[in-house]
Amino acid sequence: MDPVKITIDGKEVVTAKGKTVIQAAAEAGVAIPHYCYHSKLSIAGNCRMCLVEIEKMPKLQIACNTQVAEGMGVLTQSPKVLAVRKAVLEFLLINHPVDCPICDQAGECQLQNYYMEHNREASRFEVGKQHDRKKTIFGPNVIFDGERCIKCTRCVRFCQEITKTDELAVINRGDHSTIALFNDQVLDNPLSANVVDICPVGALTDRDFRFKVRVWYLQKTPSVCPGCSTGCNISVEAYQNRIARFKPRINEAVNSHWICDEGRYCFHELTGGERLTTPMIRQEGGLVPATWENALQAVLAGLRSAKAAAGILSGRSTNEETFLFAKLMKKLAPSSPLEVCYQERELSETQKVLMSPDRAPNFRGARDMGVGSNGGYESLLQKLLTGDFSAAYVVGEELIGANGAGERLRAALQKLSFLVVQDIRLSETAKLAHVVLPATHFGEKEGTYTNRKGRVQKLNAAVIAPESVLQDWQTFLRLLDLAGEKLSYSTPSQIFQALAGEVALYRGISYATIGDQGIQLGGGGVEQS
Amino acid sequence: MEKVLLRNIGVTDSHSLAVYQSRGGYQSWEKVVRNMKPAELIEEVKSSGLRGRGGAGFPTGMKWSFVPKDSPKPKYLVCNADESEPGTFKDRLLIEQDPHAIIEGTLIAAFAIQSHTAFIYIRGELVAGSKILERAVEEDCRAGYIGKNIFGSNYDLDVIVHRGAGAYICGEETALLSSLEGGRGWPKVKPPFPATHGLFGCPTVVNNVETLAALPWILERGAAAYAAMGTEKSKGTKLFSVSGHITRPGVYELEMGYPFKKFLEEDCGGVANGRKLKGVIPGGGSMPVLRPEELEKVNLDYESVQAAGSMLGSGGVIVMDDTTCMVRAASNIARFYAHESCGQCSPCREGCHWMEKIFHRIEHGEGQTGDLDLILNISGNIMGNTICPFGDAAAMPAAAFIRKFRDEFEAHIAEKRCTVSTQ
Repeated sequence: MDPVKITIDGKEVVTAKGKTVIQAAAEAGVAIPHYCYHSKLSIAGNCRMCLVEIEKMPKLQIACNTQVAEGMGVLTQSPKVLAVRKAVLEFLLINHPVDCPICDQAGECQLQNYYMEHNREASRFEVGKQHDRKKTIFGPNVIFDGERCIKCTRCVRFCQEITKTDELAVINRGDHSTIALFNDQVLDNPLSANVVDICPVGALTDRDFRFKVRVWYLQKTPSVCPGCSTGCNISVEAYQNRIARFKPRINEAVNSHWICDEGRYCFHELTGGERLTTPMIRQEGGLVPATWENALQAVLAGLRSAKAAAGILSGRSTNEETFLFAKLMKKLAPSSPLEVCYQERELSETQKVLMSPDRAPNFRGARDMGVGSNGGYESLLQKLLTGDFSAAYVVGEELIGANGAGERLRAALQKLSFLVVQDIRLSETAKLAHVVLPATHFGEKEGTYTNRKGRVQKLNAAVIAPESVLQDWQTFLRLLDLAGEKLSYSTPSQIFQALAGEVALYRGISYATIGDQGIQLGGGGVEQS
Repeated sequence: MEKVLLRNIGVTDSHSLAVYQSRGGYQSWEKVVRNMKPAELIEEVKSSGLRGRGGAGFPTGMKWSFVPKDSPKPKYLVCNADESEPGTFKDRLLIEQDPHAIIEGTLIAAFAIQSHTAFIYIRGELVAGSKILERAVEEDCRAGYIGKNIFGSNYDLDVIVHRGAGAYICGEETALLSSLEGGRGWPKVKPPFPATHGLFGCPTVVNNVETLAALPWILERGAAAYAAMGTEKSKGTKLFSVSGHITRPGVYELEMGYPFKKFLEEDCGGVANGRKLKGVIPGGGSMPVLRPEELEKVNLDYESVQAAGSMLGSGGVIVMDDTTCMVRAASNIARFYAHESCGQCSPCREGCHWMEKIFHRIEHGEGQTGDLDLILNISGNIMGNTICPFGDAAAMPAAAFIRKFRDEFEAHIAEKRCTVSTQ
């Protein structure tokens, strides 16, 4: 790129031809306030919040649409600029309902933030605010408040340019302008809730999160979405040890600024229901609570004596867990096939913008660890149905009702002479088991996933598991220990170090350097049939 | 003074092709197509000194020259017939009574930029005018002035009359183009400019009706003849729409530089009913009002009016006598702008209605001290900070009325009623 030298507030900055002032400033660490500008959307230039002074130009210019030129002098803190920011904020606030006490956006609202930073003056407006529709449902996940809206049109541009579904439009003129559903549509595209993220104010808010908790109480943990193998980067936000919402994290190599609606809300299904907190063993009359010691011994005995065993891992198991699971099964039932629960479905064009056709975020990582193969899961299920196995170890998956095989699988599982199920709740599959072990869900895990394209990304625990529940990797380590293989790992980091030593593709990667943007493996992506 | 723009007005059936031709019509068009190259045509118009008559006064030949000649994209010529500036009705006169002059000018301009599709965007409310234009275009198609292989020269040109849907903002060239493209009448951020990225992203020139209507005469009589009229920087003639408290309202054609006071008192017959002049807006509702004493040295050309603190604009002259309540006048204009603001950018969307509401409460006896300075402040915050000049157009008159008639506003506020005697 052609380098271009400009000055920003007197400081020389080297940028590149084709960049706008707002981009050059951001890259140089100078924040210019803005609403309608978004790095992934077309330039609208309507909020006027980013007006800056350009030396030798008589009028102020919007930084988002001004190309850098050699020798350009940009002033972002001059008296004129500070005055116009105050003025623009005043204009935006005169018809604003100031709903803060009942508005979910409070605490992460750009009107609040910029007002505190650039204005702070009392209102001079006494002539009656414009009114509009409030709490208007736009779609299954998004609700709209027309009075709070500042008409920045980010939402309209998102639906035009990113999802290309065109549900939203601006209607009416002047200060009756408002956002509306176009042509009787519903805002229900697969990425619809992203408009909530990009709305700078509380005009578009999340229906699922509505009125749940004030955002300043949220504990935010960077992690990876457990929805599918795209591995969108997320922030898991929790309150009182319960997950309240997902927000996307920016990762240009994976999901840019977005997350799909399915992924955004998947934590409900993946963490909900009555939690299993103690191991259980089957005795006459049914499953009864047991100690870890007794339960683990029973697992050992059951698998060792099995004629033909199979291992089914959840696609949400981490690399560390998978690595240990493979070692364990090799020790206890060496010839047992090990598969990751993997099923594909058709995706629409809009879904394909972000989503992968599976629900197994770590199927690729699992393969790298030696668990799973092309078409392997389907054939394993077939063998299960035809009675080829006498035992099975199922981790983190509800097999019955999950894939349509339903009742046939139930019958097949009931015929097994030994079934151990490790899950967070007493699922239908678990109810058939001889031993049930409590497990952790993705939100309680620390570890790594490798996404479909071979990017190793880190999960961090956002909530704490119940005290009596072991991490899955701890359970596998204990079993290995009882089976005679004592491994001295006490953290996922140490496990990763070990697997990096044994799995060629992961050699040279240090857990500490994975960071919150992940590391791309050298081998690139993998095709799944 | 020889008439350029009004030369056919008043002639029976002046709108018909037959009458237009009998008076020399389309000879300039034929000359251009048969004998001229686009480059020399542009030079000729440049030397004439013709400036855009829509309000901005930008040199026409220069605007044409900004179109990149070697661009592979189609080029478009658009005639801006969206006349909506308050107090302006000159284009309407030409549309209804001399449509062929407009069309001939449109064709000449199209040829200059080598456009093969020209649009006439006419404001939606002018239903009769749009029909007259369409009929005139049909006549031209039958006569071979419009269509394929015009005058056997291999030059093709199509003309489409397109009606707007009732928005003042669509007179702003990029909003016009947005509307013509089928979208909301929202102005576009500039850069890029229409000359390189206009209609459908292609090089486009938008010219006002009056500007185009002058071209046939200029091509017939020569640039020098046009430049011989007017002042050094404002060449030629201009139409003025005179309305309000004046004895002889109507559309007048004057040589640029004509003394304003003389025009009002002599040509227009002075203030009606023997009353006294209180204020006059020289160039349409968006321009600052002038007090009578400010008219002494003002001539009707771009530079002179600007030096007096206002602008020539569209030449919409609105005369107000001493029975006029300036608070009401300002409130009226503020209401117009609040109604017409497209709503795209924050200062104009919120500020125009805010000013209207304050003017309204002053007019209705609920004004407060501080209201006047508040309006001046709001006006200053809008000016220069918007996507298009509409913000300026709304801000300027609001501030001007208060500055020029402050005593009256203060009295209206103090006494909670209009203090202007209507005797």
